Amino acid sequence: MILLELGLFFAVLSFLTFGGVTSVIPEMQRYIVDVRGWTTATDFMQLFAVAQAAPGPNVLISSLLGWRVAGFAGSIVALAAICVPAGILAVAVARLLERFHDSPWRAAIQRALAPLVVGLVAAGGYVIATPGAPDWRLWGIALGTAAASLSSRLNPLWLMAAGGVAGGFLL
Amino acid sequence: MSASAEEFTPPRTLTELFLGFLSIGARSFGGVLPWAHRAMVEERRWLSPADFTETVGLCQVLPGPNIGNASLVLGMRWFGVRGSIVAFLGLMGLPYCWVLALALLYTHWAGIPMVSAVVTGVGAAGGGLFLATAVKLGRPLAANPFALALIGTCFAAVALARVSLLLVMPVAIACGLFLARRGRL
Repeated sequence: MILLELGLFFAVLSFLTFGGVTSVIPEMQRYIVDVRGWTTATDFMQLFAVAQAAPGPNVLISSLLGWRVAGFAGSIVALAAICVPAGILAVAVARLLERFHDSPWRAAIQRALAPLVVGLVAAGGYVIATPGAPDWRLWGIALGTAAASLSSRLNPLWLMAAGGVAGGFLL
Repeated sequence: MSASAEEFTPPRTLTELFLGFLSIGARSFGGVLPWAHRAMVEERRWLSPADFTETVGLCQVLPGPNIGNASLVLGMRWFGVRGSIVAFLGLMGLPYCWVLALALLYTHWAGIPMVSAVVTGVGAAGGGLFLATAVKLGRPLAANPFALALIGTCFAAVALARVSLLLVMPVAIACGLFLARRGRL
């Protein structure tokens, strides 16, 4: 039952997603490509590119992966599985916390999570830009985009378009 | 500005809630959060800026996709379970159709080497944007050796050693909380 396995995987990821879906991209790639072999690292990277280029929440990468693995049913199952379990938790905690939102624990959790999110988002960037043997052209595009993003206020869409043009010439 | 502080009113009907979240999802190129702020705080005036920041802040501390969580939490607050479902579907509906349509197009043309090269380049650039985000988020932590050690260990375990997040996350959270409670983070 591939749908069930897909749903379980994304439901578990739901509770591991801290600081946005970007932090679980490496785990999605590890499980779907390395462990299960449902698709290739290059295809994963290209689906990621499609998800980034379309408007909408980043979490929609999960529906593209679900679609690749198990068709339209897979796309719905993956999206629901990554959103709903953590969503129920968030709703419950939000109702509970409305009374004491100045709790010192909340600040401590925020400080504790900050370094993890930084490390995981960087890992996501590395994993996406390394879909196989290290390729200086892909790393060049990634590092060039990172540098441009840090040193200018250009819309990220222009930077991705530039990456596409560079890919067309180099790859 | 302070005179208008009380002019924030939650959506009155489920239709209004749905259309509001639809307008967020439909426009959100390059990140949903700025558009969520624009639609809910500036245009429709459902939430005060402080309330918005607090709700989003809570969703960032908890696991799950932030903006998906926020739609469920706000829908629940205003209309109960029905509100949660309506807000979530409004937020995801259009972007879901667009991203799937784009993926279908891509799959159709992926056999052409040029298309594949361009899409791969876009992917690499997207990876680069992640790196830039990590640098931006990491800057305030750069002077703290404990934070840097935690960042480096997480990166190495997940990106290089490919250890499962199921193992990395609990260990890293425990270390982070330990350090934070001792005032080291």
